[in-house]
This record gives sequence, C-alpha cells and structure tokens, in this order.
Amino acid sequence: MLRIEHLTKTFGEKVAVDDLSLHIAPGEIYGFIGHNGAGKTTTLRSAVGIQSFDSGEICICGTSIKADPLACKRQIAYIPDNPDLYEFMSGIKYLNFIADVFGVPADLRAARIADYAARFELTADLAQPITAYSHGMKQKLAIISAWLHDPKLILMDEPFVGLDPKAAFLLKGMMRELCDRGGAIFFSTHVLEVAEKLCDKVAIIKQGRLIRSGTMEEVKGDESLEEVFLELEAE
Amino acid sequence: MVKTLLKKQFAEIFRSYFYDTKKNRARSKAGTIAYIVMFVLIMVVVLGGIFAMLAVSLCAPLAEAGAGWLYFALTGMIAIVLGVFGSVFNTYAGLFLAKDNDLLLSMPIPTNAIMLSRLMGVYLMGLMYSAVAIVPAVVVYLITVPFSIKALVGCLVLLLLISVFVLTLSCLLGWVVAKISLKLRNKSIVTVFIALVFIALYYFVYFKAMNLIRDLIANIAVYGPAIRERAYGVYLFGSVGVGEPIPMAVCTAAVAALFALMWYLLGRSFLTVATATDGSEKVTYTARREKQRSAASALLKKEFGRLTSSASYMLNCALSTLLIPALGVLMLVRGSVVVDVLRQTFGGAEGAVTVLFAAALCMSATMNDTTASSVSLEGRSIWIPQSLPVDPWQVLRAKLRVQLILTMPALLFCSVCGLVLLRPSVAEALALVVLPQVFALFFALLGLTLNLKRPSLQWTNELAPIKQSMPVGIALLGGMGLVTVFAVLYLLLAPSVGASAYLWGFTALMAIPSLALWLWLRRRGGKVFMEL
Repeated sequence: MLRIEHLTKTFGEKVAVDDLSLHIAPGEIYGFIGHNGAGKTTTLRSAVGIQSFDSGEICICGTSIKADPLACKRQIAYIPDNPDLYEFMSGIKYLNFIADVFGVPADLRAARIADYAARFELTADLAQPITAYSHGMKQKLAIISAWLHDPKLILMDEPFVGLDPKAAFLLKGMMRELCDRGGAIFFSTHVLEVAEKLCDKVAIIKQGRLIRSGTMEEVKGDESLEEVFLELEAE
Repeated sequence: MVKTLLKKQFAEIFRSYFYDTKKNRARSKAGTIAYIVMFVLIMVVVLGGIFAMLAVSLCAPLAEAGAGWLYFALTGMIAIVLGVFGSVFNTYAGLFLAKDNDLLLSMPIPTNAIMLSRLMGVYLMGLMYSAVAIVPAVVVYLITVPFSIKALVGCLVLLLLISVFVLTLSCLLGWVVAKISLKLRNKSIVTVFIALVFIALYYFVYFKAMNLIRDLIANIAVYGPAIRERAYGVYLFGSVGVGEPIPMAVCTAAVAALFALMWYLLGRSFLTVATATDGSEKVTYTARREKQRSAASALLKKEFGRLTSSASYMLNCALSTLLIPALGVLMLVRGSVVVDVLRQTFGGAEGAVTVLFAAALCMSATMNDTTASSVSLEGRSIWIPQSLPVDPWQVLRAKLRVQLILTMPALLFCSVCGLVLLRPSVAEALALVVLPQVFALFFALLGLTLNLKRPSLQWTNELAPIKQSMPVGIALLGGMGLVTVFAVLYLLLAPSVGASAYLWGFTALMAIPSLALWLWLRRRGGKVFMEL
C-alpha cells in the first residue's frame, strides 16, 4: 500500500530524514514513534506529496508520488498535527468542498456525512462556522473529511490530540474498520499505550533514522513499548 | 513588557521589510533600505504631493486674509477624515480580531499593556494616513508665512493633537463596530455595506468641499467671522496651528479627555470583546442534498467564500467590482460635461479623451487585486490544497478566475458606456473594449505571480497579507504607475501617434507579459505553490 524507500530529506545543514525505508501492507495499522523533531512529520508530509524530498522513492498503491502525485492523492487522506481548516467555511461547507474535490457522489456523501457526524456527535454543529469550533471539534471534522471519500490509505499526524475519550475510542474503531476492509493506516503518536494496543506494526525513528521497525511483538518483545522506546532513545 | 509587545506588534507590521519569507531569512540591509525608501517616496511624493498642491492653493490667500486658523481648520479636518476613514476598520480587526489575543491574554501580561501595544499599531496607521494630508499643509504654511517659533510650536502641537484625535476616534468607532459585530450573522457583508456608505459620503463631501473651499476663499471676509462666531470649536482647533496659546491649551485638554474616555471604555470591554465567541444565534444544521460540483467549481466557490467572509478583503481588494460599473453609469449621466472639459483641455492631442478613458478604466481595474494576497491568505491551511488530488495550477487558476470574474464584466459594461458617450472610430472602439480586458488579465496574473514569489503564510492578522504585504503594494502601485505612464506618454506623443495605434500598441504591450506570466504560472507556478 505504502512503500517508502531510502527517503532522505534535508533542511539546509540539518538532515531531517536519513535513508528511511518502510513498507505498509493493506490491512495494517502502522504506528510511527519518535521524539519531537525526530522526522515523523517530515516523513508523513513527504508521503502525502506536500513536502519535496532529496532522494529516495515513495509509492502509494504502486504509483510514485513524484511521478503521479494526483493519482496517489486520490487514494489517500491526510490529517496534519494541527487541524488548520478553512475557518471561513461552516463544517458542512468544508465537508462538501472536500467531497467535491474527491468526486464523492451527492447521495453517498450525504449518507457518509450523516453517519460520521452522528458518530462524533457533530451533526448539530455542522452549520456553524469552523472558527466557532473547539480544537477537538476541528479534529473531528478533519477526521470525517479524511474518511469521506473512503480512502485506501490514511496518514495521520498525532490524530488523538484534542479528542475526548469517546471520540478517541471511535477513531480507533474506525481505523480498525478501514483496515479490515483492506485499507491501511500510517500514523504518528506520542501516546505509546495507544500505539501498543492498536498497531499491527510500529516504527521508531530517531534523529531522522529508522532505528527499529516490525510487528509489535518483534519490536517490543517481552517489554512494554514505552520501555523499549526509552531504552532506544537513551542509546 | 510593553516594549516587548511593541516589538512583536511592529515586527508583524513591518515584517516584509526585514524578512524574506520565501528564503526564510532576514533581508540584506540594502534590501531593507530600498523597500523603506520606496515606501517613503510613494507616501511623500505621490500622496503628499496631491495634498501639497491643495495646501498651496489654500495657504497664501487665507494667510494673507489673516485666516491662518481657517487654513489649519480645513486641512486639519481633511487629515482627520482621512486618518479615521483609513484606519477605522483596521482598528476593529487589529484590536479585537488579532489571532494572538487569546495567547497574549493567557500570559501574565496586563490587559492594558496588550491594549497599548495594539493601539500603537492603530496609531501608526492613523498617523500615516493623516500625516499624508497634514504634514504638507504644515510645510506649506511654514514656507508661506514669515518664520516664527510660535508658528512652529503651533504646527507641531497640531500634528500631535490630530494624530491622537484620529486614534481616539478610530478606536471609538472600531469599538462600536466590534459591539455591533458580536450580534451580526453576516458581519462581512454588513461591514462592507457600512464602508460603502462611508465611501459614498466621503466622495460626496469631497466634491462638495472643493466647491465650498473655492467659495470660502473668494468670500473669506464674510465667512471667516461667521464661522468663528457660529462654530467656535472649529476656530479653536484651527488656531492651534497658528500657535495661539489658549486654543492650544483648550484643544490639548479636550483631546486628552477624549483619549482618556476612549481608554476607559476600551479597558472596560476589551477583554469581553476580544475573547467573545460569536454572539449571533446558533444555526442548527439540517441535512439536505448538496449538488455535486467539479473540483474546479469547488475551488472557485471556496475562493469566493474566502473573499466574502472578510470585509477587509472585499474592501481592500475587490472594491472596483462596484466602482467600475458606477463609473460607467456616471459616464452616461454626467460624462458629457467631463468629456467637454477634457476636449477643451487636451484639444491639441487628437484622441486624448479616448486614451484617458482607457487609462481611467485600467486605473480602476488596479483597485481589484485579490490575486496579490490570495496565496498568502491560505495561511496555515495551505496543507489542504497541497494535499488534495488537484493540480496546483487548478488552485492558482481559481484564484485568478475570482479576480477576472470580478473585474472583466464590470470593465466591459463600463467600456460600452464609454462607447455610447464617446462614439469613437471602430478601431478605437474595439481597442476600448479589448485593452481594459487585457490589462485586467495582466494585472491579475501579475498579482498572483508576485504573491507566489513573496508569500506571507504565518500571519496572525489577515490585514498583514491584505494591506501590508509587498505583493499588494507592488501590484497596486506598479499598476497605477504603469497606467499613469500610459496616459502621460500619449499626451507627449500625441501629434505623431494616433489614438487607435497607441491603444492597440499598449494592448499588445500588455499581452506579451501576460502571456509570459501565464506560461510561468502554468509551468512553474504549481511547483512553487507546492513548495510553500
């Protein structure tokens, strides 16, 4: 589903991502862990085609993001670490805008909006301008917009930040649902307990380099993910 | 604390002069100096020049008649109107809508310190607008009358009082706008409507004032004492400029009292207004079937949504959408008088009226410059168009189309009005239709290119990209400069070049860079947009 091969990205003298390779298969929830500034966001942004990179290759469903970015973007959805949405729109206008761009038919979008908005208890607020939304409501709207066109792969940067416990639970369920249908999820998080319980695979990045990756069992063994992460960080 | 806040405030206002957002580094000293010199030249030479001419025509006759106070009353009131008119909506946005209000208020900073730093921004804006009118008036006065310390002190006190009074009035009006806005649903539309009423009022007073001033100069012996008797406040205010001590003391006390009142009112409600959530009634969503649009149509709708959501954006970058048709109607109603005057003035230059009309159309088109800030206005949401499955050119084209849709039909209507009035030859008539359209295209492309080259995405107040950014400044003044050169050059070349040839030549001249900009935007613009 997502193949990242030898990805390298530098900002001036600083190497943000250094020769990173990851493969995410259909049906997998893949967690991406690292301290602040480790290169998680740069990797995610490169994978969704909004950050150029110096070398390496990123393919989504077999298509290179460099060679055919639009074909890749049609297959995916992205939620950044901060839900900076179009504040001049209302929630429903934003969802319709996203649906229009992805070509979601009117009936289908209406059904999906009704379903997801009801799940996140956002229906009554959809006519409100986004500027009146709380951070959590914006995050919920960003999640609904990501799921709206039924993407094959969803990339999320810290998706649980700002969500209330019920919404976080719902999101986890939706992530699993999507993967059970053959989709895949690649997300970064600092909440290691969530990653440990939710992810099929996990990758740990430090100073731009991938220091460990694999199935959850391969990565943590008999220890907790938190212990492994802290040990690796200390090395 | 205040010093730190002021530093932050000024850093945002003057950021583009010192910081290159594209290269993400500070500008060189030479670059900064060049930008500042250019700004000063525009303010002093272009705008200051206009008011200096007005001051020259007023000063000598009034000073000789012993009515220096009336001279300062008139120029002072013009400066106040200009200052308040120019900064009232900025005041509202700058004081109450700044995005970092919540952040600053959450920190251990006294509310007064935040207010003071914001007010300094408003003060600078008001000072800039009012100084354009009053500084030339003061300079002309000091040159015209025999020099005395009394006059110099009076002028300096007047400058200070006007700037503080403009600040006070702007803040009071901004506060009223903020209070009303809390209860309104379609704020931006209402704000635009109010602003248009202001503009109409401004021009009405302006045109009436010119006649009034002429009448006043001719009959100063009658009007002077009458004004002094019936509007003593005006006399006092004007007398400050000539250095009368008692009026200086009275006016200073009055302005200080008004400032204190404004400070008190603002202090009492700043926290409430600045942190208020929307006070209008909550709209509950009811599901309905939405029509499916194409991506291009959705992007265009989004751009129009952005425009209509912001009164500042509409007023500063799309005002000509209404002004151009108004010009057309004016041409039909009163145009013959103007044409007669122009024909008498430029009788020697055949076709001058046609060329000047084309120039007027192009000049009015330069007041629609949505593209010059459209990229910057994406702000922190730029990840959305970047991550969507649309060609970046489609995103840019939507921005371009907004300006063209707002400008081109209006220009066409105005061209037709001009044709009805001027009845030019077929070649000239065609040029009068085609040239403004080509110019509008060029201007929209120029604005978009400049904004792509010099975007400002990290703003906390949308006025920064809309009013205070380099692309808007260059596009607006560059466009106006170009049109001025176009008009003046014809008046110089008129005997040897016919109007038709000149108009078509300029059309071709505009078409070539338009094509170049179009090709650049198509080939490179998308890549640049994706790398922002």
